Amino acid sequence: MTAAIETAGVTKVYGTKRALDGVDLTVETGSIFGFLGPNGAGKTTMVRIVTGLAHATAGSVRVLGTPVRAGDPIGSQLGYLPDVPGFYDWMTGAEFLYFAGRLFGIASAALGSRVDQLLDLAGLRGVDSKIGGYSRGMKQRLGIAQALISAPKVLILDEPTSALDPVGRKDVLEMLAAMRGRTTVFFSTHILADVDRICDTVAILDRGRLVTLAPIHELKRRYAASKVIIEVAGDAGGADALVDEIKAQPWSTAVARGSDGTIEVTVADMPAAQRAIPGFIAARGLGLARLETGEVQLEDVFVHLVGAEQR
Amino acid sequence: MTGAAVFARKEIEEILRTWRIWVLPGIFLLFALTGPPLARFTPEIVGSLVGNQLSGIQLPPPTYLDSYSQWIKNVSQIGLIALVIVYGGLVSGETRSGTAVLVLTKPLSRVSFIVSKAAVHSGFVVILAVVGAAITWLLTYLIFGSAPGGALWRSSGEFAVLAVLFLGLMTLLSVVISSTAGAAGAGLGAYVALSVASIWKPLSDHTPAGLITQPASLAAGKDAPAFWPVLTALVLTAILIVLAGAAFRRKDL
Repeated sequence: MTAAIETAGVTKVYGTKRALDGVDLTVETGSIFGFLGPNGAGKTTMVRIVTGLAHATAGSVRVLGTPVRAGDPIGSQLGYLPDVPGFYDWMTGAEFLYFAGRLFGIASAALGSRVDQLLDLAGLRGVDSKIGGYSRGMKQRLGIAQALISAPKVLILDEPTSALDPVGRKDVLEMLAAMRGRTTVFFSTHILADVDRICDTVAILDRGRLVTLAPIHELKRRYAASKVIIEVAGDAGGADALVDEIKAQPWSTAVARGSDGTIEVTVADMPAAQRAIPGFIAARGLGLARLETGEVQLEDVFVHLVGAEQR
Repeated sequence: MTGAAVFARKEIEEILRTWRIWVLPGIFLLFALTGPPLARFTPEIVGSLVGNQLSGIQLPPPTYLDSYSQWIKNVSQIGLIALVIVYGGLVSGETRSGTAVLVLTKPLSRVSFIVSKAAVHSGFVVILAVVGAAITWLLTYLIFGSAPGGALWRSSGEFAVLAVLFLGLMTLLSVVISSTAGAAGAGLGAYVALSVASIWKPLSDHTPAGLITQPASLAAGKDAPAFWPVLTALVLTAILIVLAGAAFRRKDL
């Protein structure tokens, strides 16, 4: 199957700063792809290069097999929502959708029903005010609607839920999830819960470099074994001393106290941790109430891959 | 309808539905409405202001040519400066607000974006020049009782070519300079440079610099060779728009 988006060695240099450093991405057709990274990681720069809005210093991009050349118009099979969509404030939402549809060359008869459908989807049906009077959430929803006007095969969204309230966010995520298999959705975000909820595959970018690219379930499996949750019975001072002792071990990469008194340990060598921890507990006269490998969240993976370097 | 035509239609609607319909048309209308009466009553106004101080000097009676001169001097100085300021953000305004990003990720080329803007706004300033000249002509006829149109239409035509040239210049400047004020400042600098160049006759006769002074001469009933200034201005306008398109294609949005 042809990849919907394929980038090879994409590099972007601003002066002496390498905003992107040889990024290779493959986004499978029909997948929902989460593009993660901390602020300033280069996500928006990458999205702009993929959409032809910015020139790469090196590397190449193909969308649905067609090379993307910066400065040239992209095909009609791609829909795009920027992080802060800019509209003509003097138009109404419906007028903007008609304008966008005409740019795609959609015939008038089909365009009317398409616009009505998208206004319904965006919750903007019957809103006759000018876009200049819209809230940020309304603009974001109109932005998603305009990105869908041509029923694109590839939808690229930059931080699509960041300006939405919880209900709007849920609606947008459900809408994107419903596209699975029909439309390739590529969205950049720093909201890990959104990615965890609907994405098939995730790529994590940090300081312009691709840290990982894998299906979410595989990523979780890969990192699940490296987390241990401990619950001990006994005095609090003993538990604190246990935390300090675990922190000092070479196989321990991070130790955190949970609000319920549990101790969460990220480990580099699971067998060594499993052998040593019961001994530490017994030596301090504490009781072992629970010792298990924890279910890893995407946030844990993200912190492990990105947070560790930032520390 | 092609993407360029759809975008041009948007530009026309934007002129009609935003502040753009008030600013330049308001300025041009003001000059068209005030030029003829000011020309007619200037001797009386000057006489009442200076009293007997100029008793030895006799002001000639005003004619329809004074009315035409009043109109053309106003639009080719204040009108042109207003045009430069208004169009300082013609392209950068769209890139800054993010509207260009939404439009250019649809099937519309950057060159079409630039050409559509330049064409629509050139048409707009030409219409303003024509309507302003027509109002000036009508008022001149009503006030002076005679208004042969040749001098007015030739001078207004040359002004329209000059305005289109500056629109092409502002299109390019608003691509390469992201600040509206910066582009307007550069445009005003170009206006001053062209005004200085117009003092030297060879440049005035053979380059667009002639369009700075010639419209006023034509309006005053004098003859002036227009062929080379008009031709070189139109060629330069085309070059400026091509350069704007090329620069915009290379720009990161």
